Amino acid sequence: MKANALKRGFVSALRGEIVTLWHHFRDAISARSRVHGSRPLLTAADFQEELAILGLSGRRFVPKDYADALGDYLGISINIHVIPDNWYPELSRRLAISGRLGELCYSEQLTLAAIFVPGSLPPLVSTLTILHELGHLAAGDVLILPSEDVGGSHGLHAEETAFMTSPVRKGKKLARGSPFAEEALREREANMRASYALFAGCLGSDSPYADAMFSVL
Amino acid sequence: MSAVQHQALVLGAISFVAFVFFTYVALSSRRTKFGVFAACNLLFVTMVFGAVATFDLSDERTEVVVAIMTELPIVLIVAWVCLALAGGLPYLSGTLPVEPAVRRARLRTLLRSAPFVLLFFVGVAGVIGFVFPSPAIRVYAPAPIEFFVMKGLIMVPEGLYSGLAALVFVMAGRSSGLKRRLYFKNLAFSSGMAFIAMIAIESTIFAGVRVWVADQNRLAILKMLNTFETCLAISCIIVFALGLSLRYTPAVGGPLLQRLQTGWLHAQEQFESLEWQAVNAGAAQRLRDASDAVAMTCRLRNVSESDMEKALATIRLVAVMKDPSSETQHITPEAARKLYELQEEILGDDVLASKISWAAGVRSRASEPQTVKSAPLHDALRAALDLIDDHENDVPMGTRPLWYWIAAVSAADAKIIDPPVHASVQPGDYDGYRAAVDAYYAARISIQTSEDDD
Repeated sequence: MKANALKRGFVSALRGEIVTLWHHFRDAISARSRVHGSRPLLTAADFQEELAILGLSGRRFVPKDYADALGDYLGISINIHVIPDNWYPELSRRLAISGRLGELCYSEQLTLAAIFVPGSLPPLVSTLTILHELGHLAAGDVLILPSEDVGGSHGLHAEETAFMTSPVRKGKKLARGSPFAEEALREREANMRASYALFAGCLGSDSPYADAMFSVL
Repeated sequence: MSAVQHQALVLGAISFVAFVFFTYVALSSRRTKFGVFAACNLLFVTMVFGAVATFDLSDERTEVVVAIMTELPIVLIVAWVCLALAGGLPYLSGTLPVEPAVRRARLRTLLRSAPFVLLFFVGVAGVIGFVFPSPAIRVYAPAPIEFFVMKGLIMVPEGLYSGLAALVFVMAGRSSGLKRRLYFKNLAFSSGMAFIAMIAIESTIFAGVRVWVADQNRLAILKMLNTFETCLAISCIIVFALGLSLRYTPAVGGPLLQRLQTGWLHAQEQFESLEWQAVNAGAAQRLRDASDAVAMTCRLRNVSESDMEKALATIRLVAVMKDPSSETQHITPEAARKLYELQEEILGDDVLASKISWAAGVRSRASEPQTVKSAPLHDALRAALDLIDDHENDVPMGTRPLWYWIAAVSAADAKIIDPPVHASVQPGDYDGYRAAVDAYYAARISIQTSEDDD
């Protein structure tokens, strides 16, 4: 009985060591892939794949439809708030002075995202601003670990094809790749997502990228 | 001529005809990377069958090599199609996978595994064929069980993957709202892959018959199966040819779209957002009073809501372009002119101009969407450029709408610009201008009176 207990203790210790070793190995592998990850900027074709995942490829849609589909996919509630200037006149002025056009608030605990845009924005700018903020959600920019956020735009060269990505905490995102480490690149990609979304939403089944998904040979 | 040579001649002739067609496709404007790949494979198959028909290959190991070489191009075509469906050919073909594969990650992974799995089994079959040689190309001769194993190792995975590809093409073809041409294209490729799957099944049965069926029945069954295989091969080539011939040209070209995304949209968004920031940050203070007067004037003259928006946009643009502060330094007449030209380019394409729109109210589908033409910025840009003395003006003064004159009078009154002049005539010569002046000063008095009352 004592021998059995000793054997059990040895087996469980060995199992514990193996599990620990496996965790170290897995962490090392994932950390390596996260730290040294790089990818190019999003293309219109990549974005079309994202739309297909959301079920919007080949369909005409407005930002609200995109927000709903994205919210369903991410398992969060996305609310768009267009704030009339007479409700909160300071909002437009403050945003304008800070050089911003809208604001995204995200709460992981509440599984809630809210986008605020001033009502005085021109319609096209308002549409693109909402799509831009939704682009941040799609890219998983809100999941970036705070310590890894690299500000500024140093090292940003147009001729580069791949840029360093940032590690993210556990959470769902639509984009296949990780978010970029540099904030300027994240903003640039959110702009690209907004522009792709606007055209895809307008063209629907007339989009050449939507058609390309049914003509692969 | 032996039975082997006869069959090789028939299959070689079919392959050659198919090669000629695919070469025509590959060299024509309908060229696709798949067309080129298929043509190369068919040439290779034609040469192998030609060699079999010409030379007497009696050595069993040589027969195994030849049998695998004739199967290899088909295996490669199946692998190529599966990779294309999974979007796994980024540098050789289009980067996009077929839509059903995007929405099903496991299906996509399975399709991506095709080249590795298929080539692995071809390799294993080759090893078995070399270790246990068999009369692989003597079509009517009895064969050992090793031949069946070798054949099955190639044909079963090939049949499964081509069947899967056929199913994916069917799923793509069943998508709602698909254009008719794309529907038939997917239907044709689905049939083609189904024919390949059927050939694979038929070949496996063929090998089984050679192993297990007795002499007296074997020849009749094999001849029947051979004829069936030839029919399947011809049908397969015809439907693939049809699928490749059904070329679909989208209404809006990718390069044009890319240019608009990076050119026009970026310029218009930057222009409008900078203008909004400049106005809201208070960089163009003179504008506020002028805007109120413009709105009141438009109401007095029953100017439509959309024209009033144009007048307001014009005066905002003029104010921002004339403002010397750093916030508005990017909004220059040159930038305005460039944006106007990009807009004109879009308006030149009727299909595109009618489709590119955005909601005037973001949350609702009900409100009338704005287009490049209907958005106030387009006409306002032209008007603002005219008011700040743009020398490329080619619009006759007499045809100017009332909203233009209201914006002009207001901008001049607010000292944003000098009173509008044009060539040798005075604006006062025009009815529109005189009407705008009268209404504008009436509006100013009205505003002043209401302010005094408050």
